[in-house]
Amino acid sequence: MIKIKDHELKKFIAYIHDVSGISFDSSKKYLIEMRLNKVLEEFSYKSYEELYHNVVNDRSKNIEKSIINAITINETLFFRDTSPFRLLEEKILPEIAKERSSNTLLNTNRAQKPLRIWSTACSTGQEVYSIAITLKKAHQAARNFSVKLIGTDISDSALCQAKSGKYNNFEIERGLDHTTLSKYFTASGGQWQVNPELRAMAEFKKCNIMKSFVYFGKFDIIFCRNVAIYFTPEDRKKLFNRLADSLSENGYLIIGSTESLTGISDRFIPKRHNNLIYYQHNKQKKTSV
Amino acid sequence: MINLSVLVADDNPIIRKIYQKRLQETNHDVTIVNDGLQAIHEIEKRHFDVVLTDLVMPGVDGLGLLQSIKDKDPSTEVIVITGKSSIDTAVKAIKKGAIDYLEKPINFDELFLRLNKIEEMKSIIKNAEDLRDAMEFTESSAAQTIQQLEESLIKAQQKQSSINSLAKDNSLSDSEKIVQIINIISNTGS
Repeated sequence: MIKIKDHELKKFIAYIHDVSGISFDSSKKYLIEMRLNKVLEEFSYKSYEELYHNVVNDRSKNIEKSIINAITINETLFFRDTSPFRLLEEKILPEIAKERSSNTLLNTNRAQKPLRIWSTACSTGQEVYSIAITLKKAHQAARNFSVKLIGTDISDSALCQAKSGKYNNFEIERGLDHTTLSKYFTASGGQWQVNPELRAMAEFKKCNIMKSFVYFGKFDIIFCRNVAIYFTPEDRKKLFNRLADSLSENGYLIIGSTESLTGISDRFIPKRHNNLIYYQHNKQKKTSV
Repeated sequence: MINLSVLVADDNPIIRKIYQKRLQETNHDVTIVNDGLQAIHEIEKRHFDVVLTDLVMPGVDGLGLLQSIKDKDPSTEVIVITGKSSIDTAVKAIKKGAIDYLEKPINFDELFLRLNKIEEMKSIIKNAEDLRDAMEFTESSAAQTIQQLEESLIKAQQKQSSINSLAKDNSLSDSEKIVQIINIISNTGS
């Protein structure tokens, strides 16, 4: 493996932050080296200097795509940490169903609006399909919602797999029980594919969440789990304030179990369900930073 | 799930045609060349996940190609294709780092099975790398979260103790106490 020099490392840390928002410090040298080395091999470059020179001058953006694919950490699994999905099933969906049924009685048209859910960094799609399965399993009132489920990610290769809904045995074995597997997946050629019914519920799009995402509109539920952990504290503040702007009135935000919004953003009200802290839009605080 | 980049080297034009036709059925990105020398040119240009090579070829043979591949990039997997008469050479190739060998005539179902295994292995390696790196970030994020919560707890405790001592201060009137307590509570920055 070709060793990265300190001045090259510095350039790539700045470059990676610029294109992906991911913040590495020089203690992650080994990680950057290992992951960028694959890009060196792919394009047969002899040095990181050469890679840097080529990527900043590459109008086709093909090298940039490869760097993003290599550098993003696509660690995800079906029903990763079951508590958010239980929260969705036991608390959020019944609450929304209740709110919507009372709105129907008041004859407003809010009840007809689709339920909009966003998985901000969906990687290879497991979180999105886990949400879709939870919605299918949910009680009658929630099952009647029309749903718009959007998964976004910065990595093209991750999105490509997410769209295909195809997973190998190893990916399937992490997190799925046999009943769920046989009900929502079909085996084909040594792989498993998510059934068309679930795939039709989901839409996958490329998005760098450090840049603008207002064009996606407002969401009732946003999943942003284990994403901000890769960002600097300043970038986290910006991100969560912008997510607040994208959340509907009373909308829900679910973050990773090791994360907290204390000191990051006051635009959400922390709530608790069983052992999980989740957040609801704080309507009182309107200003975005 | 990974689509593999596959390079095939065989000097027999008929066999190359068969490869071309059968490998089209897969999702893999396939490049086919006529001999070992052309294969070396290709691997100089870009990375391949798998190289399928005939053992007997003019110029650079399968063993020579294997050597060049492993020198350049040990992560490229090599499957050698062998006739019945050269099983010994195939075993030698395995010793030198080839992952497997297939006998002629090629059974494509067997070849696809081998490619699936390689794909699964690469995917597991990638998953393990992602898992390790994600663990590291999650751990440092958790440490930061705990630190932040500790800091806000300390601030809240300090406010509480200032309010307690103010409340007990008999030199102040009730309205003075209320004004000062409100000051402490609303001073969110400290």
